Amino acid sequence: MRLTPFLLVLPAVGYIVAFSFFPTIDAVYLSFQDPHGGLSLHNYQELAYFNVGGAVLDTVLVTVGALLIQLALGFLVASVLSREFLGKRALSTITIIPMGVATVVAAITFSFIFQTSGGYANTVLHSLFGINVNWYQTSLSSLLVVMLADSWKNTPIVSLILLAGMSSIPRELYYSAAIDGAGSVRRFIHITLPNLRSFIGVALILRGVQEFNIFALPLILIGDHPPLLTTLVYNLYTTTFPEVGLALAAATVLLGFILVFMGVVIKLTGGRSS
Amino acid sequence: MKWSYIGAIVVGAYFLFPLYVLFLLAFNSPTITILARYPALLPISLTLNNLVVSLQGSAFIDPLVKSLETATLVGVITLVLAVPAGYGLSRLPRAIAYPFLVLLLVTNMMPAIVIGIPIAVEFIKLHLFESVEGLALAQTLITLPLATFILQGTFSSIPSDLENQARVDGAGLLRRLFSILLPIAAPGIAAAFLISWMFSWDEFTYAILLIPYHSTLPVTIYSDVTRGNLLAGVAFSLVFTIPVIVLTFALQKYLRGEYLAGGIKA
Repeated sequence: MRLTPFLLVLPAVGYIVAFSFFPTIDAVYLSFQDPHGGLSLHNYQELAYFNVGGAVLDTVLVTVGALLIQLALGFLVASVLSREFLGKRALSTITIIPMGVATVVAAITFSFIFQTSGGYANTVLHSLFGINVNWYQTSLSSLLVVMLADSWKNTPIVSLILLAGMSSIPRELYYSAAIDGAGSVRRFIHITLPNLRSFIGVALILRGVQEFNIFALPLILIGDHPPLLTTLVYNLYTTTFPEVGLALAAATVLLGFILVFMGVVIKLTGGRSS
Repeated sequence: MKWSYIGAIVVGAYFLFPLYVLFLLAFNSPTITILARYPALLPISLTLNNLVVSLQGSAFIDPLVKSLETATLVGVITLVLAVPAGYGLSRLPRAIAYPFLVLLLVTNMMPAIVIGIPIAVEFIKLHLFESVEGLALAQTLITLPLATFILQGTFSSIPSDLENQARVDGAGLLRRLFSILLPIAAPGIAAAFLISWMFSWDEFTYAILLIPYHSTLPVTIYSDVTRGNLLAGVAFSLVFTIPVIVLTFALQKYLRGEYLAGGIKA
């Protein structure tokens, strides 16, 4: 066993651990400190005044909703792109573009689309059905705007992963299923889905964790109304700085959710399916 | 067959519409875009005036330069760490390399907003707050794991026979690195650099936490829009987007699900 490869890997791993694990542990530790330096639940009790429960609920809603939209669209894109047709190359290029568009730019573009007065979505709805929608009237519709904007930006990565999965399924499985008389829906349920399990798992973990963390999009689209965990953390941070305990307590709640989510997804998708 | 085309049109329209809206906002006269009750869906009063007015403000150059500096610095720091790591991982047995890759992936999942606040507090003490260097150090956290994945794949595809032969001929590690490995791995290294550059260019969370006052372009766009300076926000957005779309096209063959899903195929 040679030592050189180890030594080459260490700087990168050390860097990540130093800058990522230690601040995280620091954050959790500091969140349990009260203003007098003792350890207590002071910050967490205080959080109750800042609607942390609502922020948790909103975060879960956005995460689940955005993941469902992205999986559905990702499957649509991947199944279109897994066929041969004229213009396939052009389409596969188009479906990647949003990856290159900055999150901030996507957020601003969608804020113009879903403007209550003077929005492009309302132009379309008005000319088709003569109606005008206030997208920010309820929490749920505000969150829907966030989910849609996020899904536009992030569906490409989901479809790339699903496409990689689909192309790894042997064609013969589909042929023999078709000969046995399985329609396209049954082929999808009995061949595509089971074979894609681990790919769906990877997509869910990658996107799910990011979904809990979406920050620029909600900040620009809905600000603090309704708050997500990230925008709540940021809001607490900017309003109480240089005291950071309260913000870090909210951040710790967020971290807890991410760890639970990762555990659940790994459990559901069976980890490595080999 | 017919369904493919319908699907293709739906998918294409969905991905293109927001970009089309950005185009309309940037090049149409404001009276039919942001000032209209129902903004027009067609480019009927094209003008360059919006861009000219917005880009003349000097408030634009400084953030642009900061974004360029940060992204380039992130690319460099990432390569310095990821090239050796990628090579090292490709030469380790899978059973040992795999846990390292998982460790990198897991740390990539730590929320920036959780890490960013303690880092900001620390950087204030170290005088790295409000500095491009400090920001680049933090943003490397996002790019390093991804670059390591790509480079691990690149180096794995180089047959070790080639290296062993050179070793028999008496070439040391550095010699092998510079005359054999790096030239063959060049496309992968370029991709890792560009992807790091792109991710850093886009990064918002660390930027707003670590250089909140005179920040990079994404944060500037955000503050322009929140201050009601909408046309400037749109113009900057367009400038911000074009280079990255060009890069995305250039990188398209490297943006593959296989890289992301690499771990599960083993």
